[in-house]
Amino acid sequence: MHNKNNYIIIPTLLLVSLIFSSCENSSIEPENPTGKLRIEFNHYINGENIIFDSMAYVNDAGNNYLVNEIQYFISDVTLHKNDGSTIILNTWQDILYVDTDIDETNSYIFKDEISEDEYSKLSFTFGIVAEKNNSLMFVNPPESFMFWPELLGGGYHYMKLNGKWNNELNQPAPFNFHLGIGQIYYSFPDSISEYVQNHFIVELPEMALNIKDNETTTIKLIMNVDRWFNTPNIYDHNFWGGDIMQKQDAMQQAIENGHNVFSYIIK
Amino acid sequence: MRLLIFFCALTATLIFSRCGDKSTSHPYKATPYEINIPFGFPTNLNIPEDNPMTVEGVELGRYLFYDGRLSGRTHPDSLISCATCHRQERSFEAGIDHPDFPGGFPHGINGLKTHHVMLPMINLVWNSSGYGWSGFLYPENPIENLRNLEDMVRLAVLAKDEIDGDTTRIKKLFQSINGYPNLFEKAFGSSNVTFKNIEKSIAQFIRTLISANSKFDKYMRGEEQLTQSELAGYVLFTTEEGADCFHCHGGWGNPLFTTHLFYNNGKDTAFLDPLDRYSITQDPMDRGAYKATTLRNIEVQGPFMHDGRFTTLEDVINFYSHELNMTPYIDPLMHHIIAGGIQLTPSEKIDLLNFIKTLRDDEFMTKVEFSKPDKFPDEL
Repeated sequence: MHNKNNYIIIPTLLLVSLIFSSCENSSIEPENPTGKLRIEFNHYINGENIIFDSMAYVNDAGNNYLVNEIQYFISDVTLHKNDGSTIILNTWQDILYVDTDIDETNSYIFKDEISEDEYSKLSFTFGIVAEKNNSLMFVNPPESFMFWPELLGGGYHYMKLNGKWNNELNQPAPFNFHLGIGQIYYSFPDSISEYVQNHFIVELPEMALNIKDNETTTIKLIMNVDRWFNTPNIYDHNFWGGDIMQKQDAMQQAIENGHNVFSYIIK
Repeated sequence: MRLLIFFCALTATLIFSRCGDKSTSHPYKATPYEINIPFGFPTNLNIPEDNPMTVEGVELGRYLFYDGRLSGRTHPDSLISCATCHRQERSFEAGIDHPDFPGGFPHGINGLKTHHVMLPMINLVWNSSGYGWSGFLYPENPIENLRNLEDMVRLAVLAKDEIDGDTTRIKKLFQSINGYPNLFEKAFGSSNVTFKNIEKSIAQFIRTLISANSKFDKYMRGEEQLTQSELAGYVLFTTEEGADCFHCHGGWGNPLFTTHLFYNNGKDTAFLDPLDRYSITQDPMDRGAYKATTLRNIEVQGPFMHDGRFTTLEDVINFYSHELNMTPYIDPLMHHIIAGGIQLTPSEKIDLLNFIKTLRDDEFMTKVEFSKPDKFPDEL
């Protein structure tokens, strides 16, 4: 056996073992077949992509309006099965920031490995639940720019929807349709008796979402912006004015409408 | 035996090539400079990969920032440096009391006035949205030499309405000044003075100019209390029904006291300035829009707005209170525009001003590390 071949075989084995032992093993096979989920965020008015800064839209209150930008958080995205079980997608990131001015925020692939299966529903929190909505948890822009003042309840805006409407004087008046923690005033504006957590759960209509092994399934999530103003409450900018952070009644109307704002397409 | 040696060599090569090269050696490595992140401040810093912060780079940058020979000239009447305009006691702005620039309107060595007034030079390591009133220097700029503070340094040194320097003369001059080549060697590993390294070192020094110890910072940290009037001003600052300053100028959750973004804030009805934000984006909604400046140390700065139209903070508060102009380009965040402004009462104006004054950081404006060195390298 002491022939020349030993000089080749032994070092070759050594080579192979060293190569595979010297670096981190990154090829651990998952026990169960899993896939990924991507959400793409889209923003529509009247069933079509928004033309930003265009006074081309009319809400059910008869307000002509334009949209300049939309920034918001959704969190605790949850998949539901027919048997009632749920999976919260929260590996590394349980709060997603969406900004119509920043393309990178308009599509997320969850880190979660999702078991291959058929899921019947998707839900999420619009905004951030109280336990997680802590001031200074986002120190970096753009999320940090969403902070909600301490005096008004702290944490972060759930949403900034900024635009303009033609008011009763036919002036293009700015509106800041901002949602976050509301306040009940003992005497406005100096004395707050109570804060109101305005986050709410959005449950999308039943779906047949198939997560397949080693595949990424994409849901196109659509915010139908017109529905913030019309279903079930007809929201009149002339009545509520340009700002609502300190108007809980206006925010209440908005969150009731918010349940109907989102739709989806499975791609 | 040759085969054995061959395989051993091959093995070693493969192992090192698979795991990444960690064995590269550098002949000289400067000392990393660590930026301490103040409470509540962003952790993401705008430090380009090709100009890491080093103790030696900052030291050199400080000398150059203050050295009037940065113009490439040595005659006492022609000396001009960054610090000629950027005065520490004015939060590295000129200030309305500048001895050479009446009213705070700076001009270059040739007497040419700058197009806009100055912006304060503080906390810029956290600006990734664009430098300058229009944000013309930004990291993603397709024009590679218009991206960051390094480029700002070069533009300022070369501009006719600023230092009006000549890179060849500047390099030659600093190469010849005792002490500087050694400082370049320490900072960049070569005693050869290059203009690129001048840009880099001054930019490094500028990135150290951090202001985060005002009365409001101490309030945030629980170390100091605000007065009744300051608190009332803070309420106005951070409420929509009040003055609603915070959406653009920050607050507790954004202690930079700016978003570094660009807004048409209702100053004008006609927009003739060729260097507004529109000049960068070509978005019609950006006509007449300019950077929201940080309000930190605003008390010692001035004049205010891009064209320096307001001399005092009282003027600015009056403008926001009663003098806004409605145009199609007004930023949607200016929702008080319909009433012509935020309509503050005289006492509310005082409260708001008192709160804004809590953003003054005297430690920053006297800190030795940021000040003019006692001696330049050739005087040591």
